[in-house]
Amino acid sequence: MASPDMSATDQPSPPVSRSTSVFRLAFGPVVWLSIFWIALLVFAAVFRDVLPLRDPDELGIRTREVEKFESPGWNAFFGGDSQGRDVFSRVVWGARPALILGVSATVIAALVGSIVGMAAGYLRGRVDLVTSVLIDIALAFPVLVLLITVRASFGNSMFVFVILFSVTGIPPYARIVRGATLSLAEREFVDAAAALGANRRRIVLRELAPNIALPVLSFAFIGFAIVIVAEGGLAFIGLSLDEITWGKLISEGTGDIQNAAHVALLPATTMFLTILAFNLLGDAIRSIVAPRQVLTQRQLSVDGERPDTAPTEVESNGTAPHEDRRVLDIVDLHTKLHTPLGDVRAVDGVTLHVDRGEALGIVGESGSGKTMLLRSIVGTFALADVSRSGTVDVAGVDMLRADPATVRHALGTRIGMVSQDPLTALNPVRRIETQLVEPMRVHLGLDKAAARARVIELLRSVGLPDPERRLRAYPHELSGGMRQRVTIAMALVNDPELLLADEPTTALDVTVQRQLLELLGELRRERTMSMVLVTHDLAVVKGYTDRVAIMYGGRVVESGPTESLFAQPRHRYTVALMQSVPDLSLPSHSELEVIDGLPPSLVDPPAGCRFAARCSSATDICRTDTPVREHVDSSHWFRCHHPVEPGELASVPVQIAETSS
Amino acid sequence: MVIARRVARLVFVVFVVTFLTFFLLDRAPGDPAELKAGLNATPEVVAEIRAELGLDDPLFVRYLDWLAGAIRLDFGESLVTEGFTSWDLIREALPKTLELMILAELMAIGIAVPLAIAAARRPGGVLDRVTSAGAFGLLALPSFVLGIYLSYVVGVQLGWLPTIVDDLPGLNDDPLENLRQMFLPSLTLALALVAVYLRLLRSDLIDTLQQDYVMLAQARGLSERRILWRHALRPSSLNLTTAIGLNVAGLIGGAFIIEVLFAINGMGRLTILRVAQEDFPVVTAVVALLTVAYVTVNFIVDLLYRVIDPRIRDGVA
Repeated sequence: MASPDMSATDQPSPPVSRSTSVFRLAFGPVVWLSIFWIALLVFAAVFRDVLPLRDPDELGIRTREVEKFESPGWNAFFGGDSQGRDVFSRVVWGARPALILGVSATVIAALVGSIVGMAAGYLRGRVDLVTSVLIDIALAFPVLVLLITVRASFGNSMFVFVILFSVTGIPPYARIVRGATLSLAEREFVDAAAALGANRRRIVLRELAPNIALPVLSFAFIGFAIVIVAEGGLAFIGLSLDEITWGKLISEGTGDIQNAAHVALLPATTMFLTILAFNLLGDAIRSIVAPRQVLTQRQLSVDGERPDTAPTEVESNGTAPHEDRRVLDIVDLHTKLHTPLGDVRAVDGVTLHVDRGEALGIVGESGSGKTMLLRSIVGTFALADVSRSGTVDVAGVDMLRADPATVRHALGTRIGMVSQDPLTALNPVRRIETQLVEPMRVHLGLDKAAARARVIELLRSVGLPDPERRLRAYPHELSGGMRQRVTIAMALVNDPELLLADEPTTALDVTVQRQLLELLGELRRERTMSMVLVTHDLAVVKGYTDRVAIMYGGRVVESGPTESLFAQPRHRYTVALMQSVPDLSLPSHSELEVIDGLPPSLVDPPAGCRFAARCSSATDICRTDTPVREHVDSSHWFRCHHPVEPGELASVPVQIAETSS
Repeated sequence: MVIARRVARLVFVVFVVTFLTFFLLDRAPGDPAELKAGLNATPEVVAEIRAELGLDDPLFVRYLDWLAGAIRLDFGESLVTEGFTSWDLIREALPKTLELMILAELMAIGIAVPLAIAAARRPGGVLDRVTSAGAFGLLALPSFVLGIYLSYVVGVQLGWLPTIVDDLPGLNDDPLENLRQMFLPSLTLALALVAVYLRLLRSDLIDTLQQDYVMLAQARGLSERRILWRHALRPSSLNLTTAIGLNVAGLIGGAFIIEVLFAINGMGRLTILRVAQEDFPVVTAVVALLTVAYVTVNFIVDLLYRVIDPRIRDGVA
């Protein structure tokens, strides 16, 4: 019972050239078996009269050739039925009506359905409405009841059955084709061509044919199977054709299930295999149209043991390390995302720390690895197979290697997280109260009333007006700014020591941005809370952090106290970032676009300095040797072969200072 | 407003479907008056009965008459069973079919939801592949084939459960025996739904699990179980709810077949018998009730959306 789902996921890499590799992907051995089975059926249907088979109606109890309820064997492959008729002959005989009925009903339904669907999708408006009401009616009508009534009125010839199954089969085709037509008619090129004087209808028709052919064909195989099932259902309630059909054979055999199960089981299995074959083939064709997404496993693993030298004071500014001062300590963290395209080295050897009450800014373009760094701390990745190595300690808890319950408790009580978009950060179907109270109840074991009281106080402290009333609200009932205040409150719920903020204000407008940054600063001071603020906006970092780390290509390229770094940037990338700070007249969340080129691919990152390809000062050494850390002073360092010399770009930091005021 | 329009459309659908049934059965061979009069009746007697039944009126008038009665659950006398109205016969059969359908729906949801959650936890994992393949196989099994397989394995080979429903006691009188007999029929009907529900919910859950709010819930240190059941399940169940509604029509058809297979005297067997006997008032009544049932379930589904996702209630997104 293997399905193409399995063969598709087994493929290591997604198809590059559609036409060739997709076919190989869709048509695995199971599909070829299905084609073989269908070919066998066609053969049986066509040649049933010339095959060396017994007459299916010959009564074995009279001719003595097949006994009553004879077991399957060499004499009669599928055994004999209650009157000694050869079940195998009867099953072979049933192939013809099955194919005639299935093929003709499917072809008619597909043709009519396609025309109706095209009309609805192309003309839209009233035609579309009428069609959709008609489809409503068709769906509301118990199909079996329709079949019963019509059959009672018009008899049970093959013709009546074909018409019946054609009519009831129309809606799904109409729906598929309508969808395809709608999406096509809305595309610009149709309008463009029409504007140039081309016949609009002809364009749509010409473009439509290839676009609907495969989906319709794919469904036709499944539709065929549906017809076979429907015939069986009708036969089962005694309303079949006047011929030998599989449905009839199954229905006849059911009464003898206790003493001669083969009479029902073998035709039933034939029908099952036929339906399965058609479904598999339909599914294979569909996966050509819409190649199945290759899913990576959701997996989070840790590579290697905890290094012996773990948490070392590498960035010490002369004083001895104070472990109890350290809220976050990351040493040589590597995060790899295993994807079908190869391993993405999203974080590639990052070492950094945050002391109690300190705010660290992490700055870089999108794709620099800064968000992945945050996620590596908390260990949450959407749908990915991720492995981490190195160490991440949060207030003494080893986030990579501690047992899951300890990690969860640390996440719940020591870390708070604020994400970029307040619209997607809150669960849309849960009340604010439910979401805020939950971490208190889970991690602190507070009862409902106590948790509620704390939540109200917390909401007040983040400046949300009328918190009692807001508790009953759903997220969509709040404005963007209010929602972000709620997400901040959510991060602070259990009084964390470390706040991780991933572009917390990017999605908001400028005035709200400033308010929230001020609020974060205030809350941090009140609670002596540490913060990691991830952003691409240097202006944000300047006003609200103590230290800054500049990230590029999954690595930290320069790090130092905020003032020192702004006064004396040494890495060429840091300078480039400073020069590309957006103009004040632009909304400050527009992406940095002024640095030519894109960040390097992290699947197969270049050797040497990762910024080399975009750096105007790069020389050969930059492309071969990874620059080592050079210290400006005990706390400010950079990795650059050709650092910016003091005085070289004196005007830049001033510009920044103005933006942030 | 939206609800009012929806109701109007549903009422319209009920009218069309019942009229269509009325029309089709009117065209069917067999004269109700002759049927009622019996074999040896003279043409005069037949004509008299015909007038009495109002069969000389135009079709549309007869439909309106019928409709006026139907609203009060008066669907007319049975033509075959003396002294019984259509409603009497239906009232006898309906509870069994309802029980079958409700049990099947509960079983289907009870099996599909945990499986979908388990599969969506690790898309592409072993469990996900096994359930996907299983669902694909189930989709290729018509209920009567599945029913035969189950009867054979569980009923005949293992001998655990009865393969036919025989003298079914009421759910109130002997609930255990009732459920014992209804188990196989309900399971057969349920398994076809399981495949559909499982596929839908699994793929919607996979989408939900990639949302920011799920990532943040993980970052709050909540357990995976809590996130799956309390955070992800509800926002992922809109399509599932739609499918439950739309599947009612299929479920009715399926129930008919299951009733024949397991010899349950429900609406299905009643309908089949009465079609064979050309007892059309009963058939029309059954169709009308089934249509109303289908339409009502789908209306409830529409309302359920608003409970599941408050954004729909407020017309956002």
